[in-house]
Amino acid sequence: PAEPISQAYSLALYMQKNTSTLLQTYLQYQGSPFSDPGFSAPELQLSSLPPATVSFKTWHALDDGERLGHAQGAFLALTQHLQLVGDDQRDLNPGSPILLAQLGAARLRAQGLLGNMAAIMTALGLPIPPEEDTLGVVAFGASAFERKCRGYVVTREYGHWTDRAVRDLSLLKAKYPG
Amino acid sequence: ICDYSVVPLSSFAVCIKCLGFDLSVFSEPLPLAPESLEVSVNSTHQCLHLQWSVHNLTYHQELKMVFQIEISRIKTSNVIWVENYSTTVKWNQVLRWSWESKLPLECAKHFVRMRSVVDDAQIPEPKFWGDWTSWEEVDVRRSLGPDPLFVFPKDKLVEEGSNVTVCYVSRSHQNNISCYLEGILMHGEQLDPNVRVFHVNNVPFIRETGTNIYCKMHQGDVIKGIILFVSKVFEEPKDFSCETRDLKTLNCTWDPGNDTGLLTQLTPSYTLLESFSGKKAICTHKTWCNWQVAPDSQEMYNFTLTAGNDLRKRSVHLLFNLTHRVHPLAPFNVVFKNVSTTNATMAWRIHSVGNYSTLLCQVEVCGEGKVIQKQNVSVKVNGEHLVKNLEPYTEYAAQVRCAYASHFWRWSEWTRHNFTTAEAAPSEAPDVWRNVKSMQGHCVVTLFWKPLSKLQANGKILFYNVVLEHLDGPSTLKLLSIPAPANGTELILDQCSYEIHVTANNSVGSSPASVIMVSRDPGSKDVGEERVKGTKRGFALSWKPQPRGVTGYVVEWCQCPGDPLCDLRWKSLGPNATSTLVSSDAFTPGVRYNFRIYAISTERIPYLLERKTGYSQELAPSDNPQVLTSNLTASSFTLSWKDYPAESQPGFVQGYSLYLKSKAPQCLPGSEKAVLPDNSVCCKYKIDNPKQKTFVVENLQPASFYEFFLTPYTSVGEGPLGAFTKVTTPDEYSHILIRILLPMIFSILLIMILCYLKSQWMKEKCYPDIPDPYKSSVLSLIKSKENPRLTIMNVKDCVPDAIEVVNKQEGTRKSLTDTEPAKHSYLYVLPTEKRYPGPGPCICFENFTYNQAALDSAACGHVPAPSEAQPNQLGLVTSSEHVLKALGKNYVNSLGEIPAGETNLNYVSQLASPLCGDQSSLPTNPPEPVLCSEYKMQMAIPVGLASPPSIPLLEEGEH
Repeated sequence: PAEPISQAYSLALYMQKNTSTLLQTYLQYQGSPFSDPGFSAPELQLSSLPPATVSFKTWHALDDGERLGHAQGAFLALTQHLQLVGDDQRDLNPGSPILLAQLGAARLRAQGLLGNMAAIMTALGLPIPPEEDTLGVVAFGASAFERKCRGYVVTREYGHWTDRAVRDLSLLKAKYPG
Repeated sequence: ICDYSVVPLSSFAVCIKCLGFDLSVFSEPLPLAPESLEVSVNSTHQCLHLQWSVHNLTYHQELKMVFQIEISRIKTSNVIWVENYSTTVKWNQVLRWSWESKLPLECAKHFVRMRSVVDDAQIPEPKFWGDWTSWEEVDVRRSLGPDPLFVFPKDKLVEEGSNVTVCYVSRSHQNNISCYLEGILMHGEQLDPNVRVFHVNNVPFIRETGTNIYCKMHQGDVIKGIILFVSKVFEEPKDFSCETRDLKTLNCTWDPGNDTGLLTQLTPSYTLLESFSGKKAICTHKTWCNWQVAPDSQEMYNFTLTAGNDLRKRSVHLLFNLTHRVHPLAPFNVVFKNVSTTNATMAWRIHSVGNYSTLLCQVEVCGEGKVIQKQNVSVKVNGEHLVKNLEPYTEYAAQVRCAYASHFWRWSEWTRHNFTTAEAAPSEAPDVWRNVKSMQGHCVVTLFWKPLSKLQANGKILFYNVVLEHLDGPSTLKLLSIPAPANGTELILDQCSYEIHVTANNSVGSSPASVIMVSRDPGSKDVGEERVKGTKRGFALSWKPQPRGVTGYVVEWCQCPGDPLCDLRWKSLGPNATSTLVSSDAFTPGVRYNFRIYAISTERIPYLLERKTGYSQELAPSDNPQVLTSNLTASSFTLSWKDYPAESQPGFVQGYSLYLKSKAPQCLPGSEKAVLPDNSVCCKYKIDNPKQKTFVVENLQPASFYEFFLTPYTSVGEGPLGAFTKVTTPDEYSHILIRILLPMIFSILLIMILCYLKSQWMKEKCYPDIPDPYKSSVLSLIKSKENPRLTIMNVKDCVPDAIEVVNKQEGTRKSLTDTEPAKHSYLYVLPTEKRYPGPGPCICFENFTYNQAALDSAACGHVPAPSEAQPNQLGLVTSSEHVLKALGKNYVNSLGEIPAGETNLNYVSQLASPLCGDQSSLPTNPPEPVLCSEYKMQMAIPVGLASPPSIPLLEEGEH
């Protein structure tokens, strides 16, 4: 499994370099309070998106299947949410191709990482969880402000989950050296 | 925004009741009250929709009624709205009424009730209100989710400058909530413990993606917000106008004005309504709309253009007669027929506008960009117009446009077409001039002519005909044809008396002839040259009028005076002219132009009248003369610059300036102080005569250093500042000194050379190496005073057997001698050291046994020993130590002059082999001769054997 782990790790590292840029670009286009310097709203969460925060002890005690399963689930949700945010922004900020391009690129990378993780799970002989619709039917009634908030949570969590994926894969890399 | 329309329910086919029932209605008022009141909420538009019905109406009965509607907020007693709604009520009809709330409906409970009164002419007085319905409560907050905080209204669309009310609803009584509009804190009023209301007046347009309003609950850091989509005010369409091009379709156009500024949500719609026909068209474009004209010959049209978006509707009106708005299409098929030299017929067709209509067409003819003819023509179907007074062989542009003749509205677009008139024979004779030169008995005539102007040529000039008529002899004609575009020709004629005719020809014919005479004598009498001042516009030349017999004048000049081709130009003038302005763009500043003015006699023979020369603009001289200095004396020198080409300067040289620099503080007479461009001060001589090419600088100081610089000047200024030439005046007495000193030095040199060449002879004569005893003056003294028997010993008579050697050792002078054995046993028989050239401390060994008398006479010891002899004798005395020791001291005879302890005395046998002993040390360590010693032969030996130069070995020691 060393090779798929190494590939996934490289991709996660590459993604990690761009996550803060994506978040900053996103906030910059949303107006106050999002574009205010130092904006942060950690209490904003989405029920459809699992949070990346976990206690270190719990995280460290995860077995391979749980570890990859959590990440797999999160990035599956993220790809769907990034699609939603992209659609929202195409509606709310049609005149900002840079933001739309960055959202699209982030979604494609998340999908790539999903594929890499599936390869690792296959190599480790773990079952691959089925693809689920994480968004459900709640997506359409949101007001414009709620959609802005939603985009913020998604881009923020995308960064957090990428950070966590780098740690996950680093750990697996050490565990399964080539 | 809220829908106010009243929708009738579907009617039922019910039997018509009799009129008697109606009468009973009039007699006794029935309780006609609103019933089944239902209130619904549209949160998006903040509207309350009411619907109710009125019972007890008979079938087909229609009554005018007034409904009084009361709306309370928060509690029923707090009535915020009362409105009387009048409408006609039909049987079984559901009535609807809407109300838009300024406050978002989610912010507070609302209560609605109503009552009614019949306001119909059928019902007699008195009218009185019915009972109120019960209060209907509207509480949207119940349907809100479990979130701790809400902000309303959501995603509201408003116009810029309007007033908006915003509220938040919190689930807790905690009031630690702040609300911001784009980051600016808003101040509101508490509506109830959980609701706070903010009035935002005159909302600004911030960005096209909307304005953020958000509230922050500090406990738990909850952020909730809304986006207010602020649109710019929707503008009324401007410049609404309709016209038809064919009486079949009307095209209406307008300017929609500025955009609303929002990226989404607001798309304006435009509809066109014609009130006479009642027809309506929905426009698909933002700026124009087409309307099909009905075939029923409707003349008047009253259009209403309604533009609207979600927030506002705007209307503009236009009333017009269709035939007053006809804008014909552009004419087509424009052709030119029967084009002659001056006339052409223009023909075109028009698109028909209705039947039997007449168009007014306008024809314009343009030549060289200017409109030269303008004509209006009335046209039914085909237009035709004769264009007259044209110039031959000229291209013209013609254009035509048309308008509706009965009611002018607008011209059609132009339709353009170009045409060219036919050629005609050239109208003017070419302007001809000549240049005559004699060459080897022939006459070389160069003819020049100017091309005819377009107006004169009347076509394309194909060739020039030159006819030569010989005058002197029998009249003969010679024709030359020179193809265009030549502007001259050269003719070599046998004689110089010719009459020359030149004509220009095009395809149609020939121009009038230009006649010029070439005479035998060109009439080049000596005419003085006169200077003329040019300006930027050119040269104003004038001449004396000739009293009679002049048919014209010609001014001739070279455009490129420096060029051998010259580029001859001329200007022909009439017989009355006495002046002209020769102007040309090609006159270059700083170039000298020479003008010759000719008069043309009645015989058409030109003769030179005057010569002028000048510059269009004079410049300062471009270069300075090469100045030669001559006749340099102690007080003056002469400068000359004879080769300076003053004629080729870019201006008339008016004189020269001479700058002189010297150390003297005052300037010499004739000069004055001047400051040069480099700020150095010097003296300046002004030479006013431009022909003066020499100058004598006088009154100079002898033996002084001067620097001078000469530059010409024109009316504009002086030449470029160049390098100064240095001159030093000679001393006044130096020449005398030279006359004396030079011969003296020469003679001294001569003597010195002679002395050198004859040095050997001099030495022999004055100070020989070996003095001749016979020549000694001592001898004569001895002879006369003492023993007359005394004679000088003849060397031949002596038999030497021994040698006495005197050695005086100093040994400290040279380090080399240190390597020698300190008290070596060599015997130095050396001449006196150089320091003692005189008869110094010499030591003489002499065998007294041979000749006592010789000793007594002290013939030896005081003879100076020449240094040259030293090495020879050194070699001679070389002998081994033991030999020297073997010789006893008995033979040594010490003389009193020799300092004791400094001298070792040895005797070396005269027979001892000179090769014997340590010779090897000799060449490397030649001992310094430190003492004067003399060796005297003790026996007569041949001079050749004893003479020093005969031993070459010793030469090495010298070097």
